[in-house]
Amino acid sequence: MKKVTYLLPILFLLTGCWDQTMLNQTKLITAGGFDYTKDDKVIGTAAVPQAVAVEAGQSKVADLIFSSTGFTARQTRLRLDRKVTERLEASKNQVVVFGEKAAKKDIYHLLDVFYRDPKSALNAKLAVSKGRAADVISTKFEETKTSTGVGEYLRDSIISAEESATVPKENIQTICPLMFDPGQDFALPYLEPMGDKIKTVKVGGVALFNGHKMVGTIKEPLSVVYTMMTGESSTVFMSTTKKISNKKNQNVLNYATIKVQKNKRHFSVKVSPTGEISAQIKLKTKVVVTEYPPDKLSSPTEIEKLEKALSKRLSKDAQEVINRLQKMNSDPYGVGRKMIAFHYPTWKKLDWAKEYPKTKFTASIDVNIVDSGIIE
Amino acid sequence: MNSHNITHRQLFFLIVQTQIGVGVLSLPYSLFSKAKVDGWISLILAGILIQFSCLAIWKLCARFPQKTIFEILPKIMGKNLGMVFNIIYTLHFAAISILLLAMYNNIVGKWILFETPHWVIIFIMAFSGSYFITSTPRELARFYTLVTPLLLVLLGLILYAYTDVHFLYLLPVGQAGLSNILKSSSDAVVALLGFDVALVFLAYTSGSANKMLKAISFGSLCVTLVYLFIVVTTFIYFNPLEIIIIPEPVLYMLKAFSFSIIERTDLIFLSVWIISVATSFISYLFVVAKGVQTLFKLQNHQSAAPFIALFCGLIAIIPNEKLEIAAWNKYVSLTSLFFSGISPILFLLIAVIRKKNEKGTASS
Repeated sequence: MKKVTYLLPILFLLTGCWDQTMLNQTKLITAGGFDYTKDDKVIGTAAVPQAVAVEAGQSKVADLIFSSTGFTARQTRLRLDRKVTERLEASKNQVVVFGEKAAKKDIYHLLDVFYRDPKSALNAKLAVSKGRAADVISTKFEETKTSTGVGEYLRDSIISAEESATVPKENIQTICPLMFDPGQDFALPYLEPMGDKIKTVKVGGVALFNGHKMVGTIKEPLSVVYTMMTGESSTVFMSTTKKISNKKNQNVLNYATIKVQKNKRHFSVKVSPTGEISAQIKLKTKVVVTEYPPDKLSSPTEIEKLEKALSKRLSKDAQEVINRLQKMNSDPYGVGRKMIAFHYPTWKKLDWAKEYPKTKFTASIDVNIVDSGIIE
Repeated sequence: MNSHNITHRQLFFLIVQTQIGVGVLSLPYSLFSKAKVDGWISLILAGILIQFSCLAIWKLCARFPQKTIFEILPKIMGKNLGMVFNIIYTLHFAAISILLLAMYNNIVGKWILFETPHWVIIFIMAFSGSYFITSTPRELARFYTLVTPLLLVLLGLILYAYTDVHFLYLLPVGQAGLSNILKSSSDAVVALLGFDVALVFLAYTSGSANKMLKAISFGSLCVTLVYLFIVVTTFIYFNPLEIIIIPEPVLYMLKAFSFSIIERTDLIFLSVWIISVATSFISYLFVVAKGVQTLFKLQNHQSAAPFIALFCGLIAIIPNEKLEIAAWNKYVSLTSLFFSGISPILFLLIAVIRKKNEKGTASS
């Protein structure tokens, strides 16, 4: 009986309802965008989907787009809140888009609110858009007319690009360690709005970063080679089409499409006794030929020939990616990280930002055809 | 008395559950702030250190079978000095309970219940604590054994971090320097506290002395390994420059994971973690109640329970800033390092030198 007297006060306290967040009193943001004005103010744009009943049993999602300016990301959010009824919540946010100019300035300063707020959605996707982020978010895309809101539309576009290895898999949290890392950078999807009448968004490649700043882009299809070299062993549909000869008179016969089944990366960074740094990525990749119009893949010599042609072509592309990265001074493969881990004394003496572009960095891809679909 | 006894297996769970508590969330951060990425070495050192304390506690209690620390102290130091030490120890354990409550309140208030008044969060825990300690040690031990599988859930959730880790962050080993690694191991000892409740619970354990030692020492070893796993995981998940700004790296890491059904993994983790905090709190509260019982010569410790819970709860409400809690944490860390880590060894030495042991039993 005595024990009951202890339980009673707990029961009363447990009914607490201080921390409820009513769905009908909140507006959920599904997509957010950041730009800068000319005088360095932040423009925040948010999409809030609202279900609109069209007929009985049918409903449509219409996006309400709000935007406001402020000196910081949080201030724009607070000001956005003043513009709408009910309270804005970013806990179900799907995607954050940066305008290209904002990305070139600094994205960490804008993301700080997402990292600080315990309720924010850290698994939201990030992207850089060509032009202004506000334009991407407020566009009435063709697909959003019938099914989803703009947040889900952009997120799904990015996810499908990740599956085809056009862009690496990242979200707000996964880039955070890399943003802090002096020895490694990262890349985000680069969105290009397309079309006059039928509006779509295209994931046009990757936007490369150095520290907190965007420094350049690598467009699709080269971005697939970029993703392959990150060490990602395979994605759902890591595919690319490459021109492997120019002898055939019908142009379509010069191409082959492959789907990567498994990548194996060998990545080494060496420091010579004289202090020269060299890095090398060797990629062994097992592929399935998914398109090869000339056919005749029955004989081993024919397969070997194709393997050789593909290896040569992909290695050339890989080297091209590396050269571009060095030119932009972006180090997404983490050569610097390897230096910190294995050559710490040398690293401490270096000014990595100056040293990286001069590093001797080579890449090669060795293709091994393991399958060719159900015909040969 | 006999029906209250616990077996050595139950003692093992009791130690494990008491050791795993609030510390688990912020341990990677506190280790990192001094020893950088070599924090895991400090943890291993601390794990070795507490094995010695465990050994001392066991040896001390083995000399006085079925006596708690509060009954042992007057015996080895004389009545008056023993009384003083009893008061100090009771206050020390009370301070640990209060700190547990304050830190639990801080984390829950920051991560889940933003609007709920702090006294509500604290008193839910304090009242359940006082309810629990009206039970016998055997009932407590059974409860602890029952909730131990939940630890596997916690570890399973953390395991998911291995989808995105950077092993190279651990290298190069030893960049912090030996002195920093040693300094940081005192923080690790504090997170591993909980083995000290054996000073009281050993009195209730039946079975051979060897088995008891195995239970405590193996329990501490398990907890050290679990912590090592957690620390290493967070160290390779976050960049070294990033951990400095994240006081609860474990939760932060989980916040980023989402599955098709669960969006916020950290909330699931926290709800399970609260049980781990509760078990630590209950153990310490029980020890405090035992201390109060000895001091005031009460019939049983149950009658003191509600007052102790109220006392701890009221004091735990006072600090409402994170810096204040950090300051409290620092003081309690220092005292616990001394009272739980080092003094059992001293007491043992005193007992050996003065040849004190329970009359009627052969000294070991």
